[in-house]
Amino acid sequence: MPEFAIKVENAGKKFTKSLNRSMLYGAVDIMQSALGVLPNSEILRKDEFWAVDKISFELKQGETLGIIGPNGSGKTTLLKMLNGIFMPDRGNIEINGKVGALIQVGAGFHPMLTGKENIFINGSILGMSTKEIKSKFDSIVGFADIGDFLDAPVKHYSSGMYVRLGFAIAIHCNPKILLIDEILAVGDAGFQNKCLNEIGRIRKEGTTTILVSHNMHLISTYTEKCVLMNKGTAQYFENISKGVQLYSKLFQNDLKMHIDKNCNGNDNIHFHDIKLSNQFLDPGDDFVVELPFDSSIDYYDVDIDLTINTAEDAVKYFQATNKAYSKIIDLKIGSHKLTCTYKNIQLNNVIARAGITIWSNKRHEMLFWWSIPLEIKAAKHCTGRNFLQILYELD
Amino acid sequence: MVKVIYEPNKYLKMGSKIWPQMLSEIIECRELTWRLFIRNLGAKYKQSALGYFWVIITPFIAIGTFAFLNKAGILNIGKTDIPYPLFALIGLTIWQLFSSGLNLGCNSLVSAGEMISKINFPRETLVIASIAQAIFDLIVKLVLIVILFFVYRFIPSWKIILFPIAIIPIITLTLGLSLFLSLVNGVIRDTANAIALITTFLMFLTPVLYPISTKEYLFFKLNPLAALINAPRDLIVYGYIKDPVDFTISSILSILVFLICWRIFHLVETKIPERM
Repeated sequence: MPEFAIKVENAGKKFTKSLNRSMLYGAVDIMQSALGVLPNSEILRKDEFWAVDKISFELKQGETLGIIGPNGSGKTTLLKMLNGIFMPDRGNIEINGKVGALIQVGAGFHPMLTGKENIFINGSILGMSTKEIKSKFDSIVGFADIGDFLDAPVKHYSSGMYVRLGFAIAIHCNPKILLIDEILAVGDAGFQNKCLNEIGRIRKEGTTTILVSHNMHLISTYTEKCVLMNKGTAQYFENISKGVQLYSKLFQNDLKMHIDKNCNGNDNIHFHDIKLSNQFLDPGDDFVVELPFDSSIDYYDVDIDLTINTAEDAVKYFQATNKAYSKIIDLKIGSHKLTCTYKNIQLNNVIARAGITIWSNKRHEMLFWWSIPLEIKAAKHCTGRNFLQILYELD
Repeated sequence: MVKVIYEPNKYLKMGSKIWPQMLSEIIECRELTWRLFIRNLGAKYKQSALGYFWVIITPFIAIGTFAFLNKAGILNIGKTDIPYPLFALIGLTIWQLFSSGLNLGCNSLVSAGEMISKINFPRETLVIASIAQAIFDLIVKLVLIVILFFVYRFIPSWKIILFPIAIIPIITLTLGLSLFLSLVNGVIRDTANAIALITTFLMFLTPVLYPISTKEYLFFKLNPLAALINAPRDLIVYGYIKDPVDFTISSILSILVFLICWRIFHLVETKIPERM
């Protein structure tokens, strides 16, 4: 018995950007095959590019590999190559054992047919015999938990039910190698845990698993090794946390580390020599901004907006004015210093931006507006975006 | 333990060793083919009031039109040895095995596009299942023909039992062409439209709804479909094949076409998912 389950050597796959050229190349491929001409697939023709380029790794029986990377980096293409849907255009892939792939659950469901009929059809497509499906039928139905809908056409299913049924069929194929593509993103938390439990069970039985996910917590807790993909190229890591760390870096490099000084004052008030505590923080640190100013008039009861937003969040991570803290602040004539302290920032492994905006009373006039990038480092053994203070007590 | 190696041009490099693999793949996936056939059959007439009745409506309307045009003297079909509707229905039934088989087969890969690009399974099952669909339609129409035998008090020759064997060449040809055209359709979608158009007009150029006239004898002799359709019909009408030489040549041609197309399909099918 060979030691490895999957061996990928220098594998690559090319795609065509243009649809017309895709037609042309497809026709050429058919002609060449018909005539028995051996094409050199390693040459890039016009408008072609390597969607996956020169990837190599080895996976032993029972190991778990995570594939991570930004959108469009070639993760699904690699998975389809491992499944044999796409043939590599260079290099080779060796697979030992029956492969079960969850690239898109419910692919192959016929919307007009009932859940029951689809179990048999999908099971056959995934390589099960009728006898096998019959013996596992109750177990599949039990796992999918779709109740009365078993005899309804699947086009009437909710998306959650659709996924549940698809996953239930696929997981019952007893694969020796399981490929999973970001399918757990759908379905409610209860079902996700059920799936993870099932994945855990077959992993214990020695199934080699490959997970594609954007969920770093899932990756770092379920997998031992990882492949980090970026624009078709891949780096292989024996150590999962190193890969996860580099993955976060990919996004952070896109952000500029410079301060946006949008407004430093007006004719009456001027902010200068502003001091920041440190833009590179550990989780739990304080962030202090000192704002010395000269003012020729009194600004009573100003509004100070403090925000923190991370690149990935649509909603601001934090946003509040001084009113939220029942604090009335007057900026009076003369030279003074205003100090704002963000206490105990509970973020983890993220690039964020702190925003400071000062408005005159009733927001008639903007007096100050800076946006300051912050880099919060990763705490050890913590993968989320937040880092909360937790107390452990044991009696 | 199953060991698989994926590499560029894997099947092309195999040379003639590919034949046993092709055969075993077809045999292994017969259960899946059957499931897909049942699926297509079940889904085709769901949410349809007339259901399977559609299988027999189409030939009736076609023959009705021709019978009317013939009677009105607009079309001169010529004399047939058996009642015209019976003659035409048998011809049309065999023709539709070819034409609907070809159209279904040609579309089989594209209409399962999502499945093909998401799941790895033997794709010829889709083509074979759609030809099976055409064969199923043929069987339904054969029942109709038997009913017409009673209506016209026509007693066919006992050699009608050889009919299933006589249609094997045309099934082989349909399957072969479908395997090839489904690939081409996967790359260039015009194929399906072109085939639909070609089969429509090809029917009029093939002696399906009319007997071969002696005037244009050579023209029909050059059309291999003529022999493939007339031979099974001759078996029912006369009890023997009028032109056994033509039928043999056409049959051999069909088998050759099938073998070549089947091989091409096997060589190219791995390159289709990326074009879907």
